Amino acid sequence: MRNRRSLTISALLAAALILAACAPAATPTAAPPQATQPPAAEEPPAAAEPVALKVYVVDYTADVTDTWLEDEVVPAFQEMYPNVTVEFIWGSWSTFGETVAGYFAAGEGADIINLGSEFNGLYGSQLAPLNDKLGAAAWPEISNFIPGTLENASWDGELRGLPIFSAPRYVFCRTDLMPAGVTEQPADFAGWVEFAEAATVIDPATNSLTQQGFVPVDAGTMADFQWYLNTIWSLGGSIYREDGVTPNFDSGEADAALQFNYDMKRAVYPDDTVGALPAGTGSVIEEGNGAVCLWHSGWAAPAPDSAVWSKIDIQPFTGDPTNFPASQPIVLSFVDWWAVPAYSPNVDMAAEFLKFVFNQENNHRYNETMNLIPARADAHTGYVVDNPVLQREAELASEYSYGFAGILEPTQLQSILQTQLGLYLTDQQDKAATLSSIQDQYTQVLQDGGYLP
Amino acid sequence: MKENPYLFTLLSALATTLFIVASCLVLGLLARFFVRLAGGTRRRQEQAYAGYFFAAPWIVGFLIFVVVPMLASLYWSFTDYRIGRPLEPVGLENYARLLLDDREFRGSLINTLFLTLIGLPLQIGVALGLAVLLNQKLRGEHSFRATFYLPVILGFNAAVLLCWRLMLNASNGIIDQVIRSLSNASLPIGYINRGVIYAVEVVNGFFLGLTNGNYTLLEKVLETGFPAANRVPMWIQTPLWSKMSVVLLMVWICGSMMLIFLAGLQATPRELLEAAEVDGAGSWKRFWKITFPLLTPYVFYNLIIGLIAALQIFEPVYVLYRDNQPLAPSAYSMVYYLYQATFRFNEIGYGSAISWLILLIIAVVSLIQFRLQNRWVEYEIR
Repeated sequence: MRNRRSLTISALLAAALILAACAPAATPTAAPPQATQPPAAEEPPAAAEPVALKVYVVDYTADVTDTWLEDEVVPAFQEMYPNVTVEFIWGSWSTFGETVAGYFAAGEGADIINLGSEFNGLYGSQLAPLNDKLGAAAWPEISNFIPGTLENASWDGELRGLPIFSAPRYVFCRTDLMPAGVTEQPADFAGWVEFAEAATVIDPATNSLTQQGFVPVDAGTMADFQWYLNTIWSLGGSIYREDGVTPNFDSGEADAALQFNYDMKRAVYPDDTVGALPAGTGSVIEEGNGAVCLWHSGWAAPAPDSAVWSKIDIQPFTGDPTNFPASQPIVLSFVDWWAVPAYSPNVDMAAEFLKFVFNQENNHRYNETMNLIPARADAHTGYVVDNPVLQREAELASEYSYGFAGILEPTQLQSILQTQLGLYLTDQQDKAATLSSIQDQYTQVLQDGGYLP
Repeated sequence: MKENPYLFTLLSALATTLFIVASCLVLGLLARFFVRLAGGTRRRQEQAYAGYFFAAPWIVGFLIFVVVPMLASLYWSFTDYRIGRPLEPVGLENYARLLLDDREFRGSLINTLFLTLIGLPLQIGVALGLAVLLNQKLRGEHSFRATFYLPVILGFNAAVLLCWRLMLNASNGIIDQVIRSLSNASLPIGYINRGVIYAVEVVNGFFLGLTNGNYTLLEKVLETGFPAANRVPMWIQTPLWSKMSVVLLMVWICGSMMLIFLAGLQATPRELLEAAEVDGAGSWKRFWKITFPLLTPYVFYNLIIGLIAALQIFEPVYVLYRDNQPLAPSAYSMVYYLYQATFRFNEIGYGSAISWLILLIIAVVSLIQFRLQNRWVEYEIR
């Protein structure tokens, strides 16, 4: 009897301890910091009931973007909606897949999710349609966004969120490292292969590169699915046939693009015993890092205020007009965006928060913390136009943007392409087998996914 | 009223606590009831009540967080369950696809086999070698012990593996720089280096051939012949070396095995070694005739644990090759493939089937090892 009583008392004590440990952190009572954004001029719609918004954000620049969002944006938003609390969940791309897959599997999680371009095709159908809240009729400000960026934030004709920035892939070339007598970037495939070979230097003592003529994202393998798709699109090709669903990797453009990828690899690495460029810090085209040309976004380029920019030429990729007259100069446009999942019980308030974070001033500030090109054209002010590099990038983005969007089962396609490019570019299989594997495997994926019969 | 996050957290914590307390009471009472039913004394009943009362939080946690998800994944493995789509029962289709159609799974299985057959013996061998060295009475013995164990503490975290990526760079990574310097300084070392490179590339070419269904790379290696004098390992740059960099990491983290061997070495009876020495046995003979047989239970333990770890290897492959996808298929393991199917492609049903197949493989391999132990494990000197 006594034992049981002592056990019961122990249990109650344990319960009290656990309860104490689980108590939430004290609610801050201090006054919110001064908001940079004044409340909207018009009377905001009142949120009568408390709403708790959870926002999953990729923490691009820790202690900068996150501090700004938490300390300035949210308090300013709360002046309009005092009953709304906003909780940020800071994530990274390395844990993104598991976290977001968990949200969608459970049908519960963040009300707003920070997505990349490629997730448009993966989660598009599970995101809330927002045309009635963010379309031109409901929110005229939408017309200020670069059209290509909105493609990425749409699925099946409906906006599913709003784009933060445009991060197109340009060709950055060091003019001082170009081969003797060459002053401009090549204009066709043959020219590029010749250029890459002439601009590459191998140290015979170490059998390693000391200068690499061309780097398409990854300097070591030179196999990158985005680069491959970019070369197909630059030829005027498409990855789907006219029906928009059947894969088109048996096309002439897909074949020529693959051959070009291989020729570029062999122009730089005559064989796979040649060591890659020495590992350095910062961009590969930064002074002393060895790359002559880089196809990548501003993320991988030197900082906008670097002195090396005076020796860098930025161009779109022009395809192969010599052999493919439909070739077009393109900068492949990647967009990171905030989307609202369909499972969210707070779709209306999430859309209001999106409109606030993506207004002209906030879109500008958000991108300023990362030195990227805002998705809103009217936010291309201040640091964007003051810096000639960013200004040039913004101009190219406006003129030649080609959206990395509308790809069905994108993660599966990425995996297939990376695997097959890897096999082909390391001589493990020939071109015909590679193209046929891509076509067959992707067709199977689309059949499994219900896109093809 | 819509949820208040603070109130919600508080209520959830309260409900969880009440659930735990209730589970304790229910399990305790059930235990006492069954002991009474079996005719147990009052004291036995009280003991059963107390035992299960305090064990209940773990038992309930195990049931909720391990048994139930396992049963759920077993069920999902017979379905086509993709996130965002309705779940459809498909019978054995996932298993049939895995075993008969999926070339990539076959590749991951062969890669895992490579890591187990080549990596595990190397790992055990290096751990044993280090333990034997540390068993000598050396100055700074404790520092060496701590140094060799440090990788286990550091683990495969992202920072450590990024350091490895830098160290494995073929041009200016420290590992190849050292190999290059030694090869240049000494002709025999240069030949050994080239011989090792040749052997590694032939073996890897063979395994890649098994994966791809063609032996183009193996033929190329054989055709090229003995490597040139300026060759170094191309660790994370070509498919011929991608698995070897994972093996290198496996060997680097052998500190736990080393400690177990060290404990075994220190438990070896001194009198046996001294008697053998008096009888004229040299140190080599003493090691192989006395020390090693007595170490076989420790070898067996390390083998089983290492085997399970090798068959489930994930982190080194994930961090070394996640961003280097063209090489990933030449290195990725079964568990990496499981991760990819489940969390990248969102195919939960298929991922569940992979996980059950991995469990089955591990269970069978472990069982075989347990069956074979009587043939080589010595629990006492005969």
